[in-house]
Amino acid sequence: MRTLRAQATTTVQIKEDRFWVYRRKISDFWRLYKRSRLGKIGLTIVLAFMFIAIAAPWIAPYDPFSFVGDPFLKPSSAHVLGTDQVGRDILSRVIFGTRISLLVGLVASAMTICLGSLIGLVSGYLGGRVDNLLMRITDLFIILPALPLMLIMASILGKGIMNIIIVIAVIGWTATARMVRSQTMSLKERPFTEASRAIGSTDLHTIARHIVPNVFPLVFANGMIAIVDAILSEAGLSFLGFGDPSSPSWGMVLYFADRAGSTVNGYWWYIVPPGICIMLLVMGFAFISYSTDQILNPRLRRR
Amino acid sequence: MRDYLIKRGASALITLALAIVLNFFLFRIMPGDPTRTVVGDFRVTPEIKQALIHQFGLDQPLWVQFLLYVQNLFVGNLGVSFQYRGTPVASIIFGRRLFNTFILMGSSIGVALIIGIIVGTIAAWKRESRFDIVTVIFSLVTYSMPVFWLGMMIILIFGYYLDAIPIAGTITVGMTYSNVFEYAADYLHHMTGPFVTLTVSFVGFYFLIMRDSILDVFTEDYMLTAKAKGLSNSKILFRHAMRNATLPMVSLIAVEVTYLFGGATMTETVFSWYGIGRLIYEAVVMADYPVLQGIFVVMSILVISANFCADIVYAFLDPRIRY
Repeated sequence: MRTLRAQATTTVQIKEDRFWVYRRKISDFWRLYKRSRLGKIGLTIVLAFMFIAIAAPWIAPYDPFSFVGDPFLKPSSAHVLGTDQVGRDILSRVIFGTRISLLVGLVASAMTICLGSLIGLVSGYLGGRVDNLLMRITDLFIILPALPLMLIMASILGKGIMNIIIVIAVIGWTATARMVRSQTMSLKERPFTEASRAIGSTDLHTIARHIVPNVFPLVFANGMIAIVDAILSEAGLSFLGFGDPSSPSWGMVLYFADRAGSTVNGYWWYIVPPGICIMLLVMGFAFISYSTDQILNPRLRRR
Repeated sequence: MRDYLIKRGASALITLALAIVLNFFLFRIMPGDPTRTVVGDFRVTPEIKQALIHQFGLDQPLWVQFLLYVQNLFVGNLGVSFQYRGTPVASIIFGRRLFNTFILMGSSIGVALIIGIIVGTIAAWKRESRFDIVTVIFSLVTYSMPVFWLGMMIILIFGYYLDAIPIAGTITVGMTYSNVFEYAADYLHHMTGPFVTLTVSFVGFYFLIMRDSILDVFTEDYMLTAKAKGLSNSKILFRHAMRNATLPMVSLIAVEVTYLFGGATMTETVFSWYGIGRLIYEAVVMADYPVLQGIFVVMSILVISANFCADIVYAFLDPRIRY
């Protein structure tokens, strides 16, 4: 009885310790991150866009779907960025577009990361034939022309936000998979994983306890770049007409701008703002990724 | 070296085979009648339809269809286009379009690469100087721009406001040329917009990779040796650092070719450049599946051979790889 209780307390002890270890790690990371100027700029940009996305109904002057003026109005105090070909307020459409662009970027990259990590973990941990097969498939997806494949898949699946997300995830998981695989392979040989296996832990336990926590930081840094890729891919696919007109993203706004002949008619107010938004959001995530990489990637620290 | 070549060659062939399998089944899993993607279109005449059903064995089981597909592929039969009413796909791809895309992509990749390597080397050498910071920020900005938007901006500024470049096409429609130079001048004039767009969108990436690669090389021991020998800065930089740092670029270029196709597709679409990228877009919009399938096979072959070539070049440049 006494030994049982003793065991229970040690378990609690270990759990608490682990909590503090993670907390210390996160606060260490934050301390280093705060020193990076690019990192702070990036975080500010991303948070600002998140705020716009959440507060869109209160910020936007008009409903993005209703016809609130004559078509092709020039910028004025009533319509800061003018109106589009059917008389919808462009500024409101750009503000609401933040929601779709951000959401697709986040969800698609999350799916990319999950898919890539899963394949990388299985491949790296099991090794052998499974590894061979999975890496063949990875090589294939790395080598095949991404955008044409995306377009083909999108035209097979049909238009719509969900299909865009699926297409981005199915095409984009390879980089994460490779990275997680090599990391898993090296972690598998470390003493603590060997010890875990020696005391009879299941594979699942070893992966969850010892490999995933150690792979996570790099996956996180990689995830930021996945968001960048996802946002740009979404913009491209929407621009080519694969978006959902009922939930317009920035790429979709540019698609309509192109159809309205904005470039040859000089409607700069229709083209410039959505593009700047895409650029800023991508830069925000790129800066975060850069700073995170500087902290988490040991190869870069030595320079 | 021979073992290495055989290994890389076999790997490239397997990848190619997988790509062909994927390409075949991708177009057969579409909802509806599976033969729809080969003949099921009102724009194809019944006679051609009958011939295709026979050629591709569309009334036979799937595995027979696959074998016939591969067989047809080897003799260059990629089916017929829907939007061009039964024109063979191969003759659409292998013609002016492929030439136009090669010219556009080749020139912009070449120029972007040269600028990227040189500027990247200098930026890494003068790390954290004003030059370095400005070039890094410029690269990050261009990297963050959607390619199609950059193209639209270039049309807006240089086409609409300054009226300096044509806004669409590869040549002036309806123009007659007295000699070949006039034709070339008109062609190049039309190429300015897409060329600048692609170059700007590629150069940032090459620059960042080169700078990173040089910074890595600076930590190597032989750099210290070169310095200790009393070599001049330019010799250290261009003889020792740049040469070694260019190595990783070689394999990278091949891998990145897939992304470059994406950029080219966007640019050609925005500028109505009569090339393969524009053809992909048209085929998607017009639901011209045989053309899409054909382009995909051709591109896969191109990319896989580019990677194979890069592997060989790399092995020649860096003897460590061979073993």
